[in-house]
Amino acid sequence: MTDYNLSRLNFLIVDDNRHMRALVKSILHALGVKSVLEAGDGADAFKELRHFPADVIVCDWNMSPLDGLDFVRMVRTGSDSPNPFVPIIMLTGHTEMNRVMEARDSGVHEFLAKPISAKKLYSRIRSIIENPRPFVRAGMYFGPDRRRKNNPNYNGAERRKSEDASAGGGGGGGGGGSAGELSQDEINALLNG
Amino acid sequence: MSDQQKPAASSQIIRPPQTLQSKVEKGGPGAVDLDALARAEEVIASLADDYLKWVRDDFVRLEAAFAKMKAGEGSDKENLEALFQISHDMKGQGGSFGYDLMTAIGDHLCRLLETLDKAGPREQGMIRVHIDAMRVVITKELKGDGGNEGRQLLMGLSLVGEKAK
Repeated sequence: MTDYNLSRLNFLIVDDNRHMRALVKSILHALGVKSVLEAGDGADAFKELRHFPADVIVCDWNMSPLDGLDFVRMVRTGSDSPNPFVPIIMLTGHTEMNRVMEARDSGVHEFLAKPISAKKLYSRIRSIIENPRPFVRAGMYFGPDRRRKNNPNYNGAERRKSEDASAGGGGGGGGGGSAGELSQDEINALLNG
Repeated sequence: MSDQQKPAASSQIIRPPQTLQSKVEKGGPGAVDLDALARAEEVIASLADDYLKWVRDDFVRLEAAFAKMKAGEGSDKENLEALFQISHDMKGQGGSFGYDLMTAIGDHLCRLLETLDKAGPREQGMIRVHIDAMRVVITKELKGDGGNEGRQLLMGLSLVGEKAK
């Protein structure tokens, strides 16, 4: 594991559940993060972004009136977006494959399945640090390149997302374990397509 | 219009500024090592008492939403959505604090609510048993998978979920 010092990073937590915000904030502080700002919904968060130079956003999916996906799309494609490139970690209990793909297609960098742990959150932050991705504007999509792995030595067939998901393997925590839901490992495999 | 005049159909690649990477240092004092991660997990564990208070608050909200539905106030769609939002929160938090059974029951309730498009007496009965199962976890402070009691609860809820399909 590479040790990174996160003390200079600014985090924005967007969640309508104050208990969840408190949990994420406590974990970030324990990881050495000093600057954490909270917002209770997507609209508030968008306002905060005008004066808060967030380096990473940890955003819940289920919020109202503006949900997590709406917020991500606003950040990515809004004409008045203060920071369309900011890395976003989508934090949610939705771990069904179609939901994961929906989040990916809205422009999130990482997907973190609840219930969360310090190790899982840090692994997503580390992934953002170690894998800076170019942005792509393609049709209606604007966001981080959805094909993150670029292996120049790969000569095999192009696997598609459904294959990736089924090949993702079990274990690794996350997910509620119901049929059709993915573990965190499977989600990572899917997003690494 | 010639092909050259058409708007570009191909994607445009943009290299964003690496502001985040420039602010992160490797190693040194304050870097996240295994000890820091262990400390962070300890911080979560220390919030377990707070969690019990949080989940009781959520449970009160869940009961209130159920009572509203039972009283016929508001539309079924609104009431089912309100119950989903609360149970989804409860599902998302339990496991972080060692209450995996709460997460599992919350998951069952969310799956059930997703299949329902009305909230008559039969559906209310199905939802009720999930709420009662959550009450058992809270009052008995059942951590982990809840042992035999937890397995029996989940087995019962699975049967209820099957009936809803």
